[in-house]
Amino acid sequence: MTSPATLVRADGLAKHYPITSGMIRKRVTGAVRAVDGVSFTIARGETLALVGESGCGKSTTGRLLMRLVEPTAGTVRFDNVELSELDAKQLRAARRRMQLIFQDPGSSFNPRMNVASLIAEPMRLAGVRAAERRDRVLELLPLVGLAAEHAGRYPHEFSGGQRQRIGIARALALRPDFVVCDEPVSALDVSVQAQVINLLTRLQREFGLTYLFISHDLRVVRHVADRVAVMYLGRIVEVADKATLYRAPQHPYTRALLSAVPAHRPGVIPVRTEAIGEIASPRAVPPGCRYHTRCPFAMPVCRTDDPALFDLGGGHRSACHLVRPAPSFADPTLR
Amino acid sequence: MVETPLLSVRGLTVAFETRRGAFDAVRAVSFDVQPGRVLGVVGESGSGKSVTAMALMRLLPNAARVEAGEVRFAGRDLASLTERQMQAVRGREIAMVFQDPMSSLNPILTVGHQLREPLVLQLGLSRTAAQARAEELLALVRIPSPGQIMRAYPHELSGGMRQRVMIAIALSCGPKLLIADEPTTALDVTTQAQVLDLLRDLQQRLHMAVLLITHDLGVIAAFADDVQVMYAGRIVERSPVAALFDRPGHPYTEGLLRSMPPLEDEDPDILPAIEGNVASPFAMPTGCAFHPRCPYAWDDCARILPPPAPLGAGHDAACLRHTTLAA
Repeated sequence: MTSPATLVRADGLAKHYPITSGMIRKRVTGAVRAVDGVSFTIARGETLALVGESGCGKSTTGRLLMRLVEPTAGTVRFDNVELSELDAKQLRAARRRMQLIFQDPGSSFNPRMNVASLIAEPMRLAGVRAAERRDRVLELLPLVGLAAEHAGRYPHEFSGGQRQRIGIARALALRPDFVVCDEPVSALDVSVQAQVINLLTRLQREFGLTYLFISHDLRVVRHVADRVAVMYLGRIVEVADKATLYRAPQHPYTRALLSAVPAHRPGVIPVRTEAIGEIASPRAVPPGCRYHTRCPFAMPVCRTDDPALFDLGGGHRSACHLVRPAPSFADPTLR
Repeated sequence: MVETPLLSVRGLTVAFETRRGAFDAVRAVSFDVQPGRVLGVVGESGSGKSVTAMALMRLLPNAARVEAGEVRFAGRDLASLTERQMQAVRGREIAMVFQDPMSSLNPILTVGHQLREPLVLQLGLSRTAAQARAEELLALVRIPSPGQIMRAYPHELSGGMRQRVMIAIALSCGPKLLIADEPTTALDVTTQAQVLDLLRDLQQRLHMAVLLITHDLGVIAAFADDVQVMYAGRIVERSPVAALFDRPGHPYTEGLLRSMPPLEDEDPDILPAIEGNVASPFAMPTGCAFHPRCPYAWDDCARILPPPAPLGAGHDAACLRHTTLAA
């Protein structure tokens, strides 16, 4: 049963894209398993970070939660309501409470719309009256660190950091509960990233927002997240509260990711947990543990058995045969 | 020990002519690269770090022009060379690796073809000798089964593999200087670490000088011997790498280092951010270009362009605080 503190709950969420071949008569010959069975919960007011490398399915997972992408399997419960059971009108109402912040807001803006219309657009689509939209825009501008005189300007007149502020104002226009932040600072200059991170933190506290924070940057994630889920080839391979994950990572992939972050101090000889080669293709997911092709610790069992997310206690779970808890005699399979 | 610099840049100024107006992307930049050393150039978009590299190689886009300055490489003034002579310098003596290998590799030629080409054209190797040397080069950049990769097309390779192929091509003629412009930025975290380890290892084994251009201070810390920090077209600080991280002298450098979330140390509740936005080239602040964002700025900073002030061995910063304190 979902606890009242849970706002978002994903169960067995999957998205497979068919691979077709043949020019005239198209046949489905395989599938890209972009997301391949992920389950997690996000509590109200919490930030869950989803980390992983390109192609691991983290962005697709964010879009599945908002039902911007139809799942192949699995369910999403938002505030205790299953999204797939909603009709179109109810889904629109639910979507007002979930918003998305993109990596590069500049490319998603209509260049002919000024800042006021860009921020007001989601309200216009939701049927909010013009006068109310105007008031809300004037309220939002200072909230995200923009000035009232910016309202009449156009996106190209702004720097990357300011455009992200416009993107954030737009996402907040309809007073959402839940915001999916998809690499919100990755495209920004280093000197501006910290400003935008601080803004997201402040807004979360002020409005009790719940965040899914999608990122490949483990420094940024350590700063913003409460809990962290690590994805590899469409699966969550490890999830834990932030302190545990950074102090005692259990999955070899998490350890490889953490040891690959360059130190911000010269003279530090990196002690790397190597990941061999590169990420496998989601078109051809390896059998057994999907990380075994890159894992320096792989055992015979890893090539055949797909490890479950073993519970390590305290909300820490890891999908690795090496860290599988010792079997207990109460285990019926041992009798 | 004073060595003759391999590359010496003096007073380089590059102007751009665009529809929105003209501006200087690089302003009176001077620096040296010593043989076998790694000089890191750190800066964000619009700082002029990549334009500097393109100007050295005489590969500026049509809209850009070298307004002033001199570039000497191994004793020669590169501006005085004919285009043909310059072509011999590019690739053979100075090689480049870019952020996105896909844009530098030819999509319709095999990896082997692209590796052999400079060996035949620049070094005059026979086809068989070039083939053998190409396989050696792929092994050098730690590509497993080089023979197989030689027959592959660029799109069949992963991002990390493509970057290794680019590095192999860059090293093929044994350059004295490698210009690496954001060489690992487009790669995933685990691949980035592998490619960075490879570059550092090759640089040391081949005793090659590297001009490493990046926005990432982590890459600088891992690879550079000396660093120069660029902001709004100028060098604002230069330093041996350890001193830059220990005692940053320019407020911009200090801000960059402080705003980075730590990976191990205590994490602050609010990150110490640099306020404001990167200066627009069309509305460049007077005096010190960083003064509108600087927590230490006073009225002089808007009037006076600060000269570099010495802070230690090979370390200087263009900030009036140091000039005033020293006076």
